[in-house]
Amino acid sequence: MKQVVRLFQNSYHVFLSDKVAVILTFIIPLVLMALFGSIFGGSSSGPQGIPFAVLNQSNSPVVRLIAASFDTMKAFQIVKSFKDSTGKEVAFDTSSIKEFVRNGKVSAAVFFPPDAYTDTSVGLTLKFYYDPKNEIETEVIQGLLRQTIYSQIPSIMVQSGFRQTERYLGTKSGRAFNTGIKSLLGQYFKIDTSIFSNPSRLMLQRQNGDTSKFSSNFFDKLIRVEQQQLVGQEFRNPWATRSVGGWAMTFLLFTLTASSSSLFDERKSGVMLRLLASPVSRVHILWSKYLFNMSLGIIQLLFMFTAGWMMFQIDVFSNFFNLLLVIVAASVACTSFGMLLAAFAQTRQQAQGLGTLLILSMSAIGGAWFPTSFMPPTIQFFSKLTFVYWSMDGFLQVLWRGLGTSAIALNVGILFGIGALLNVVSVWQFRRGRIFD
Amino acid sequence: MIKIESVTKRFPSITALDGVSLEIREKEFFGLLGPNGAGKSTLMNLLTGYLEPTAGSISIGGEFVNRNNLEVRKKIGFVPQSLALYDELSARENLEMFGKLFGLPKKLLRERIDERLKAVELFERRKDKVKTFSGGMKRRLNMIASLLHDPVLLLCDEPTVGVDPQSRNAIFDFLTALNEQGTTIIYTTHYMEEAEKLCNRVGIIDHGKIIALGTSDELMEMLPYEETIVIAKNPSTLQHKATFEEFGTLLEEDDHFELKPGNGFLLSKLFARVEEQGMRYQWIELHRPTLEALFLHLTGRRLRD
Repeated sequence: MKQVVRLFQNSYHVFLSDKVAVILTFIIPLVLMALFGSIFGGSSSGPQGIPFAVLNQSNSPVVRLIAASFDTMKAFQIVKSFKDSTGKEVAFDTSSIKEFVRNGKVSAAVFFPPDAYTDTSVGLTLKFYYDPKNEIETEVIQGLLRQTIYSQIPSIMVQSGFRQTERYLGTKSGRAFNTGIKSLLGQYFKIDTSIFSNPSRLMLQRQNGDTSKFSSNFFDKLIRVEQQQLVGQEFRNPWATRSVGGWAMTFLLFTLTASSSSLFDERKSGVMLRLLASPVSRVHILWSKYLFNMSLGIIQLLFMFTAGWMMFQIDVFSNFFNLLLVIVAASVACTSFGMLLAAFAQTRQQAQGLGTLLILSMSAIGGAWFPTSFMPPTIQFFSKLTFVYWSMDGFLQVLWRGLGTSAIALNVGILFGIGALLNVVSVWQFRRGRIFD
Repeated sequence: MIKIESVTKRFPSITALDGVSLEIREKEFFGLLGPNGAGKSTLMNLLTGYLEPTAGSISIGGEFVNRNNLEVRKKIGFVPQSLALYDELSARENLEMFGKLFGLPKKLLRERIDERLKAVELFERRKDKVKTFSGGMKRRLNMIASLLHDPVLLLCDEPTVGVDPQSRNAIFDFLTALNEQGTTIIYTTHYMEEAEKLCNRVGIIDHGKIIALGTSDELMEMLPYEETIVIAKNPSTLQHKATFEEFGTLLEEDDHFELKPGNGFLLSKLFARVEEQGMRYQWIELHRPTLEALFLHLTGRRLRD
């Protein structure tokens, strides 16, 4: 037993000798906890600022009220116009709002046609356009949309219905008819009919999780939503097509971080010393590592996309040139990130610890695992500073929307830019650092 | 051929070399002897251009060595102290990888690899992964990996650390033959036997300074005595330790004492004293002093301290 205790003590002694690795051991879970906490709870009460396009062509006060209620919702960032080719702000029409969704500017849009709700209408009719590039986000938008409409419509529609009856039948007959109707509805749906005197209670029932037959059937019959998926209908496996970019990026980051850390192994084994005693400069070594890692990244991504094609029928070949552009740009950015880690870390353990922290954080906030719209605004801002975000978005543009080179030019440009910036910092740090000394 | 002029190398926490000046002649087998941490490896790393001196300069065949002069490195072969090999690759693959860096044509490189592998008796194992090799085999491979481009200068940084006596002798024979063929060799070690056996000239380094330089004979002249008295260690001599200490510095080894005679020492006086104590003469031998003794004389410390 004494030997076990001694060995146990030795293990702690060795572990504690690398201060940075120790700190990272505790910092990594702490940062990830904070990150996930802020995304799924804690500081955030739900999704915020999801871009959502709205076009209202109805003059009905009911519809106006509903449309106006979207503006006050934190969950949505309402878009009602777009910039045309001349840069002029133009209000949506029926075709431009669809195009807006198709181009990936927003994940969903709602269109209230002129006849969405009239005095003679029994219910509300609207059109919902969506791009299920991210299933969770689409479902959340749909849920919020229904919730908003339901919260507004009962008080208006039920009262309005009774008023119409009294108008057509006269006050006395109308009231008698309404009482009969209430009684029938009460019997049929088995509910307390007093809610018709206070329609806002209907909403409360739904909010409180009352899933009675009434609340589901009644409202579903009152609101007619024509849903139209604008992107991705043709894919055999939409889920895999949307997700493959996220998987690929996470694995690529781990591979390239490990590969860049091989510099530490070469230093430790003395190979670095032997290489630098040959007609080889430090710049040669860094360039060779960079090119190796970058090519490895490209090969790995190509392999993953090909595997996706074989296993999930992801269409990677119809827009292959543009896919290759994003792959190369993503590999450049990831390789630069790996080199940056190698430049700043003092040991392989530090590089791996720091790498795990940054990879998981970037994948999380970059949208590789869940929609960025679920995150607080500050994190959404930082999301756009990560190359994971731009790579993911690039893969979506190419694979999901089948867009061309001009559509991914910004993504590719930003990825190369991030790569160049990280390289400058890496070279600066390699000059100062101890990897070669 | 190799000129080291007033070279100083400072690290943040230590001055590893302090104004070292040396000239090493062509075809010389030069030994750099010193304890661990004396500055031997730092000097080797400066000679390869891996490190830059804080002050001073190094030239090889008239060309200055620095981080950016890659041409001068074609003249150098460097055998690092560590086993700088890829364990997962075969012996041949390792040699091909390192040989390629010197721009040797493929055919010539293959011929050289076979030739060198045969010279160190590893040809039969050429296709085996290095991780399956013994320590001695790895050492031999580590050495020939630095010789594929036929360097005019070979830098060996303690190439026999952790090597069994048989492999060590094989390395010595190989290096001696190489030196006889005209390769200049700089060999660092903290084993004085190696320096004495192999080197024409030896520089003794301590705390980053060359404290003695010359052939073995020249160095021995720095000692105030010509012989070391070796006394067998047994219960009788252990009893008379104090008697021996009257005649000089007494070092206690595992199986014997070594007496470094002090000023005015006379062998006859020692024998007379020994007779007085009733000890027997066959327990006493006279040896030529070693470089270890010189180091002790110069620094007051032993090489392995």
